[in-house]
Amino acid sequence: MSFKVIKSGFLSTVQDYGRLTHGEHGMNQSGVMDEHAYAWGNHLLNNHFNDAVVEITFGGLQLEAQTDTFIAVTGADLDFKINDKSAQMWHGLQVNKGDVLSWGNPKSGVRAYLAIKEGFDTPVLFDSRSVNLREHIGSKLVKGDVLPCKEFNQATYRFIPPQYIPNYNQDIVLRILPTYQFNEFSINQRDLFFNQDYTITNANDRTGCRLSGAPISIKKERMISEGISYGCVEIATDGLPIILLKDAPSIGGYPKIGTVFSLDLAKLAQRQPNTKLRFELMNIHEAQKQRKKFNQFFEIGFNTVS
Amino acid sequence: MHNIVPAGENAILIYFGNKIDATLPEKIGNFANQLKDTLSDVVIDVIPSYTSLHVSYDLNKINFQTFFNKVETLLDQQDSGNSVVEIQTTHIPIYYGAEVGLDLERLLAEKNLDLKSFIEIHTSQAYLIYAIGFSPVFAFLGEVDQRIQIPRLATPRIKIPAGSVGIAESQTAIYPADSAGGWNIVGRTSLDLSLNNPENVDKFRVGDQVKFYSITRDEYFKNGGLL
Repeated sequence: MSFKVIKSGFLSTVQDYGRLTHGEHGMNQSGVMDEHAYAWGNHLLNNHFNDAVVEITFGGLQLEAQTDTFIAVTGADLDFKINDKSAQMWHGLQVNKGDVLSWGNPKSGVRAYLAIKEGFDTPVLFDSRSVNLREHIGSKLVKGDVLPCKEFNQATYRFIPPQYIPNYNQDIVLRILPTYQFNEFSINQRDLFFNQDYTITNANDRTGCRLSGAPISIKKERMISEGISYGCVEIATDGLPIILLKDAPSIGGYPKIGTVFSLDLAKLAQRQPNTKLRFELMNIHEAQKQRKKFNQFFEIGFNTVS
Repeated sequence: MHNIVPAGENAILIYFGNKIDATLPEKIGNFANQLKDTLSDVVIDVIPSYTSLHVSYDLNKINFQTFFNKVETLLDQQDSGNSVVEIQTTHIPIYYGAEVGLDLERLLAEKNLDLKSFIEIHTSQAYLIYAIGFSPVFAFLGEVDQRIQIPRLATPRIKIPAGSVGIAESQTAIYPADSAGGWNIVGRTSLDLSLNNPENVDKFRVGDQVKFYSITRDEYFKNGGLL
């Protein structure tokens, strides 16, 4: 009961919601880069919110089903095919033993998600199945790998209202909360930050996203290292922002002007280099309200510390 | 004195001071434990570091303002109470030699020290754990004796072997796994501190102490040390 990797592609890894309780031990959060596409993938299959998926970056992956089961592919359009025929995305599909699933070149977006009924059953390491290459926890998929899963011959799907299928080709506005050293940045510095279009550079991966634009002049170069939140925006010594993402180190020592709202980071995860983006202030009450609504809809809960 | 700021939609940062101070790590470590015990139903994770504590919480169950108030109340109570957690000291064997200490000879020359004096200085004190981070099980230890302080390398190395012990200014640390890094490497431990042994995950705790002791080349290899 498994899927076998025929071709590995550029970068494909098993991910789940993340490793949320080990920042204390110096581990980064890990987990899927696009929580919106991930949550819908599991939701369409009536899965648990934390079930493990394959995150496929830029395509090139080919898998062979060694069992009958049900899948849903969401996120980027990477020319997804079953047995060389274009297959439907954002929809539950039955696959049969022997079927070959393939992803080609990106048509729109960057990361596709392969969700499977009840999730991939790869080893749980430090309370998560998320692979973390930077910290040597698990490894990326290579030819010959076997992804264990369960067999299903019957399933019920849920459907996605079409307005929730995003268009990844639009420029984006990232809503950002005033956090960390926000108040230590001067009015002029903040004006420059909020009133310009930044461009996503090639230095853009699971660790962080470096932006180009007009640099903010900053006095303080380094500060005492402190705990990092997913999505916080460091202003590096060159005056340009780096948005810290799922594989960022747990502590860091650059001044941070704010923290991007998590559901906007899902949009960022699907943008190619050279995409333009702007920042807009958001207050924490609104962010919490919107995130809570999302969590409730997808039944996302947390294992708080024991 | 404390200062709490939001750190994200479900996280806050508590500052216990604004400069590095040897009394803070223990205080922060203790408060982290207290917070996890007292608010266990809403606290997701804690990240202590030098002067601050990052806390993430479950926004499904509690909103920012309520959480903020609860933390403030606890901080006030802590100020009046005494901590009872005992400080643990972990002893780590180190082979100090040029074949594993990639920067040892340069450091000795620059500091005008012989190997014996260097080892004596580096092993003489118990170091305080100020932070865990950069990568798992990586403990930032301080303060290094002024006689052996040395700045980071201008160009970081692409690969530092697991177990290497480094010095950067007033700090010293062990690289638990192979990684890139710019610290001056002076020796290597024979212990496997990587996550290959999952029990290493909580080997070090902010506020605890680490003391190094010197082992010979033979002992290093006998204990499983590698080149």
